[in-house]
Amino acid sequence: MKKMNQALLSVEKLDVAYGSAKVLHNISISIGTGEMVFLVGRNGAGKTTLLKTISGFLKPRDGSILFNGKNINALSIEQAYSEGIRYVFQDKRVFSELTVKENIAIAAYGAKEKLSDALDKMFLIYPKLKDFINIRAKGLSGGQKQLLLIGRALIGNPSLILIDEPTEGLAAGTIEDIFKVLAMLQGKISLLIVEQNLSVVCRLAHRVYTMEEGKITHEFTQDQLKDQSQLEACL
Amino acid sequence: MIQNILYGLTIGGILYITAIGLSLTFGTMRIVNFAHGFMYTIGAYLLAAILLLTGNNFLLSGLSAVLLVVPLAFIIERYVIRRLYGVSVDYAIIATYAITLIGVDLVKWIWGTTPISLQDPIGKFMNIFTVDIPVYRIVIIVTAIAIFVGLGLFFKKSMVGKIVVAGLEDREAVSSLGLNVNKYFAYIFILGSVLAALGGVLYAPITSVHPYMGSAFLQLGFAVVIIGGLGNLNGTFFAALAMGIVMGITGRYWGPAADAIVFMIMAIILIVRPEEIEG
Repeated sequence: MKKMNQALLSVEKLDVAYGSAKVLHNISISIGTGEMVFLVGRNGAGKTTLLKTISGFLKPRDGSILFNGKNINALSIEQAYSEGIRYVFQDKRVFSELTVKENIAIAAYGAKEKLSDALDKMFLIYPKLKDFINIRAKGLSGGQKQLLLIGRALIGNPSLILIDEPTEGLAAGTIEDIFKVLAMLQGKISLLIVEQNLSVVCRLAHRVYTMEEGKITHEFTQDQLKDQSQLEACL
Repeated sequence: MIQNILYGLTIGGILYITAIGLSLTFGTMRIVNFAHGFMYTIGAYLLAAILLLTGNNFLLSGLSAVLLVVPLAFIIERYVIRRLYGVSVDYAIIATYAITLIGVDLVKWIWGTTPISLQDPIGKFMNIFTVDIPVYRIVIIVTAIAIFVGLGLFFKKSMVGKIVVAGLEDREAVSSLGLNVNKYFAYIFILGSVLAALGGVLYAPITSVHPYMGSAFLQLGFAVVIIGGLGNLNGTFFAALAMGIVMGITGRYWGPAADAIVFMIMAIILIVRPEEIEG
């Protein structure tokens, strides 16, 4: 698969450290407009650290992150959000004491979007959520929480969504629901997704980067992903 | 006994109004705020000073005293507290204790060390169960309940309240939605400081106004917050009223033990639920 248009996000020679411990080494990746790119690798490979650095939670030690051609190395989380970058955390971190509607309302407030428009976006990707709109988010199943988080990230017309392990810990049927939503977003928005489920990766990815010990080790195009065993061999 | 219980509820009401700010500050920012005691003290002193200007108009003076604390709280939050987010709790204790020490010396420098007595602003009594209770004390109890209900509505109904509730649970997740969490936590710090000042204002006519009044009450406030559960806003309310009643009843039989009983209960709570202080 060709890289889509010009790079929306271009990470170049990125180094990130926690104190004196360097965790990302010379990372270079790019994501085109409307492209769905996956990051795969073992636990501790640095995938989450990379997402957190792009979204402004961590600051790089060296290298650059260009978004729409603009260097965003020094941006705060809120500034990165304003630029159109969304980050969906691992572990399905909804606001459990608030209702589903309140979870969406906070996101709409942050994005300066009307609640009714935000709800419409949510229901477009996950119509069943209407039935749970007034219950506390802690009452949702893992899959429902994940869909709420993905829907919440769509509020405010983002350009790039970073999603960390969307199918982690979910049952097969629920993974298929997540798959359908991601497929729905394919080509409409740029996505960088950390995912361990290689079946999902190979069915959806435009490109895949593999990571190991804080380094990018391989890059796979969509054509190469037709044979999942090639990807498996690299992990 | 009824008189002791009602007098205890008055203390409990003041304890709640004062302690809720501590609970909010800890719950949102994870900061143990010793400067809270200074806000309580300065509220009482500002009341005493403004009463002289308004011809003993308590409502106007009290309101002015509480509002004057807003810019002070803003400055403390902006230049001290905001630098303490995410750092060790020890630094926060040292920094906020320093504010209290500076504040107390400032109070002594401006107003001196002689205690100031203020008169009961209402001066009337109400007969409840054959006991005459000052109406002012009833007003304090009603005010505490109104604040409890008001804060409950604020956190449930207002967007700022919902964001703070969300931030209490997951600060990073709130940031990831483009919201500046520090700004909302600053509102909460100012709200807590205003409530501390209100506690000082309301208690001033019952006790005497002196430079160290905040320190003593702060310790009781911390005990109430621990008994109620750190960051648990409903728990703080019920713990404050319960401790007020316990203090009232204990004081009837042995005055010097009235404060100590609260710390004994806190110690038992910490033995039974050590996670309260371990976080």
